[in-house]
Amino acid sequence: MEIIEKIKTNQLINNQTEIQKICLHKLQSSPIPNPKSELWRLSNKSKFSNFLNYSVNEKNSKFDIPYPENSQNSIRLIIGENCKIKFIKENYSIQQLSEDELNKYIKDQIACFDQNENWSDLLNLSLSSKKNFLGLKINGSKIPPIEIFSHASSNSLNAKTLVIILEKNCDIELLQVNLGKENSSLSQSTFFVLEENSSVNHGVVSYGKNKSNLINSLNVIQEKNSSYNLGSLHFKFNYARFEIRIKQSAGNAKTNIKGMQITKKDEQISTYTKIEFNGPNGFLDQINKSLADDKSHAIFEGSIIVPKIAQKTDASQLSRNLLLSNYAQIDTKPQLEIIADDVKCKHGATIAQLNEEELFYMRTRGITLLEASKLQLSSYFQEIISFIPVSKDKWDLLDKLLNEN
Amino acid sequence: MQTKMRESDPILEVENLFASTENLPILKGVSLTVYPGEIHAIMGRNGCGKSTLSKIIAGHPSYNITNGDIKFSGENINSLEPEERAQSGIFLGFQYPIEIPGVSNLEFLRVSTNARRKFLNKEELDTFDFEELVKEKLELVKMDHAFLSRSVNQGFSGGEKKRNEILQMALLEPKIAILDETDSGLDIDALRIVASGIKKISNEQTGIILITHYQRLLDEIEPTYVHVMADGQIIKTGGSDLALELEKKGYEWTDNFVKET
Amino acid sequence: MVNENLVKDVVKEPYKYGFVTDIETEKISKGLNEDIIRLISQKKEEPQYLLDFRLKAFKKWQKMDEPDWAGLGYEQIDYQDIIYYSAPKQKEKISSLDEVDPKLLETFDKLGIPLTEQKKLTNVAVDAVFDSVSIATTFREELAEHGVIFCSISEAVKNHSNLIEKYLGTVVPASDNYFAALNSAVFSDGSFVYIPKGVTCPMDLSSYFRINSGDSGQFERTLIIAEESSSVSYLEGCTAPMFDTNTLHAAVVELIALDDASIKYSTVQNWYAGDEEGVGGIFNFVTKRGKCLGKRSKISWSQVETGSSITWKYPSCLLLGEESVGEFYSVALTNNLQQADTGTKMIHIGPKTKSTIVSKGISAGNSINSYRGLVKMGTKAAGSRNYSQCDSMLIGDQASANTFPYIKSQQPNSEIEHEASTCRISEDQLFYLQSRGIEFEEAVSMMVSGFCRDVFNQLPMEFAAEADKLLALKLEGSVG
Repeated sequence: MEIIEKIKTNQLINNQTEIQKICLHKLQSSPIPNPKSELWRLSNKSKFSNFLNYSVNEKNSKFDIPYPENSQNSIRLIIGENCKIKFIKENYSIQQLSEDELNKYIKDQIACFDQNENWSDLLNLSLSSKKNFLGLKINGSKIPPIEIFSHASSNSLNAKTLVIILEKNCDIELLQVNLGKENSSLSQSTFFVLEENSSVNHGVVSYGKNKSNLINSLNVIQEKNSSYNLGSLHFKFNYARFEIRIKQSAGNAKTNIKGMQITKKDEQISTYTKIEFNGPNGFLDQINKSLADDKSHAIFEGSIIVPKIAQKTDASQLSRNLLLSNYAQIDTKPQLEIIADDVKCKHGATIAQLNEEELFYMRTRGITLLEASKLQLSSYFQEIISFIPVSKDKWDLLDKLLNEN
Repeated sequence: MQTKMRESDPILEVENLFASTENLPILKGVSLTVYPGEIHAIMGRNGCGKSTLSKIIAGHPSYNITNGDIKFSGENINSLEPEERAQSGIFLGFQYPIEIPGVSNLEFLRVSTNARRKFLNKEELDTFDFEELVKEKLELVKMDHAFLSRSVNQGFSGGEKKRNEILQMALLEPKIAILDETDSGLDIDALRIVASGIKKISNEQTGIILITHYQRLLDEIEPTYVHVMADGQIIKTGGSDLALELEKKGYEWTDNFVKET
Repeated sequence: MVNENLVKDVVKEPYKYGFVTDIETEKISKGLNEDIIRLISQKKEEPQYLLDFRLKAFKKWQKMDEPDWAGLGYEQIDYQDIIYYSAPKQKEKISSLDEVDPKLLETFDKLGIPLTEQKKLTNVAVDAVFDSVSIATTFREELAEHGVIFCSISEAVKNHSNLIEKYLGTVVPASDNYFAALNSAVFSDGSFVYIPKGVTCPMDLSSYFRINSGDSGQFERTLIIAEESSSVSYLEGCTAPMFDTNTLHAAVVELIALDDASIKYSTVQNWYAGDEEGVGGIFNFVTKRGKCLGKRSKISWSQVETGSSITWKYPSCLLLGEESVGEFYSVALTNNLQQADTGTKMIHIGPKTKSTIVSKGISAGNSINSYRGLVKMGTKAAGSRNYSQCDSMLIGDQASANTFPYIKSQQPNSEIEHEASTCRISEDQLFYLQSRGIEFEEAVSMMVSGFCRDVFNQLPMEFAAEADKLLALKLEGSVG
């Protein structure tokens, strides 16, 4: 883990920005996360060090991954490629945050970072160069759907950062796509602020290739009366972590999450979510699905934190898991931490195979076992995929999951 | 009892069948032969093995045949997969049709109909043609088109589930249909709809096995033979009058019969 | 009516078992080192292998760190400030109950556990443990007729040494965890049960643990062995006087069930919980584990945890035998500044094993009540199932309820289902009961006991009634 050595000796990056300096300094004291901590104890050590084994690359190779064609009415941005972004239309505007705004915002965030919990963001912000740092401020109405891409380059570690501030009463659809390359590592951190009365349908699709790694961190702050819907899908990564932290800063907001991870071969993909209610009347409906086949390992750990101030919170979290092979494993830990008494919280978890009675029923109607399994899987997948906004059809996600993997 | 002359070959032959689940014997020597055009009723108490027999004929993976054979059109099917049996024309109407959330009923019906058509060397139907076919069959069971867009059996009432079973039977045109308590949980109107559906679908070439507790379905569909099962065996076979006798006498005598033998 | 008055009387005294028995005791000096361990072993006239077991455990303990993962807040324990052996002074050898100090008999009488021949409970055999030693065991002869051995573990070491040597530490190894290692080094007394092949124990067996001295820790050790096709129901009760210092209780319980055997282990834990400000109370750090070694064996834990300042306890089952069954039924109630971190581990190793977890947590006052559990399906546990249900009830807006279920599966042909929910007593429900003329506090206690019904149903009869009453008392004044 050359990178860690370089972090320790501060020889990693020349021409450090102010943010990079702060984060590198923070990392120096404990450059890797505590492997015994809840967030990291199940993380595969050799895969994690493989993540860190590529050298940092600030440049972006011209990539040959064919994106589906961009439709006329959506806005497509590629982190690292679009230098100047400015869409000012009659009814909306999308502008880049100024360097000052960006620095101020990020510094506020760093101030409440926990070394372990936010290690992924610290690493990302240490490595992410100005060029790979996209900050946007969005306001107005009738905004066209937005697609934002991050991608890795072969044989390197790329870090990309996205900050989006969604101003009051604003309403967007956003699809974020993280693409892995063969033998690559991608560190993606996203910071999202939803101001009052704003609403977003957020899709995150992370689609890897042979031997690609990903650490994807998503930090969301929801102000009052905002509504955040997240549909996410992670598959085909040698090693991937998806960390979600959502804070309803004053409660009174709605959060809906539908996430899925699919592991095959010897892959390890994990999802960690932490949803905090810092005010009353919050709402959460979360479902996370895992499917583990071959010798792979899928992990889900979700925590819901309901302090005293968060009366009348209504939160539900469900972890549903399919274990399809004798050599695969699934770990799941949905947890509740509650102090407020007038709340409705529940969580549930199941681990099982495909339902045998359902399979038998279909087979007595002449449908083959393989087809019947696909029908079941597609309904299992469809619930999540249908929740992903913007151009999901173009990506043929269902087909990719059922046939390509 | 089975003295009637039969001209054609039997559709289904169950020969001295023994079967168990989790090492627990359930069937203890069942024999049954069904010829084209015949309707067999199997009656008996809960737990006598009626439903198990139907599941084993359909190939449920949880049951093991420990002895005996099941022949369909003269071929031994003991080791066929459930879907192979279905494709070749064995239909099982479930007592409790399974709910499959997320899988659309229309898609399910189309895939299964095409699997059967493929076996029969008939052309597979595209969505459009299939809709036409399904519309026609919906009439038979008086079902609304809206059922097709819902998930398989999910949120269906008891009667709707049973009608969905008969709809599938109509689409798959089986050679033999085993209907496991298709009458249970139906009010009299629904029962008539289901019964008339069964009658319209069946013909001189098909065989039907009705598994039931009650006479009322047999009032609608007159059986050629009535079999009484107890403790994993057929203990008595007769004509349709045997069912009436059972209705009067109840099933208690079957327990004694088992004790005696 | 009588009963009602009784309840009211008891309510006045927040903790009715808080008295101290004034009795001359033999204590060894404070502190923990090899010499102390040798001294304990010598006092108990133990064979060499047991001393070796203790010393080995002590060495391991010295290398271990006190666990902090449960996030329990308590001041660091000074292990050198504890007395590891304390026993009431008695005659050298006691041949019958008549020779037991009347003060001791009186103590157990007061606790509702009469020991003398005239008064003893008719359907339960009792082993009474006072501080570090077992005082008396009732119904021994009757049990012996059936081949059942029920005695203190010290006696078992003397009379049934082969069984102790064979099984001690095989379920909870000395190195298992910090407190188990400590117990293995210094355990003083506890109960031993052996049910021979094919025997259904003719009566419930019960141990009653009483901590009397304020500065000594209690480190009892229980071992229950159920041979093939045998069964036993075992009950455990605990109380302690009120002291303003904390007393450490670090017990180890090991259960072993062979083919077709079944063990039911029920606990009503009512150690002193400290006062309203959280001063004093027992630190209850206990390791309880059962091994379903045989085919179709069954181990069932049920517990009602109402006492202790801190409880840290996960009665668990290792399901090795094919088709073995593990069960855990728990009610944990915390009030004031109590902290409870309790739950279970169901480790499915053999095929077709089944486990059921039902946990009900009630937190009131400023207390913290956590369920922490692990369900694991190993690679060979094909056809296994688990069902878990963890419900929390919050009373007042200062209490907290946490749920931490760890779930791990390496076997596709197995099913795990976990459900958890949090609720409070709804005003509508209360109003409905009150509108039918039921007093507020009674309505609350009805709701609480309704919430716990699934678990109470698992308790032996006498315990269930006791538990219901206990919860009502504990909640007194916490609602409103």
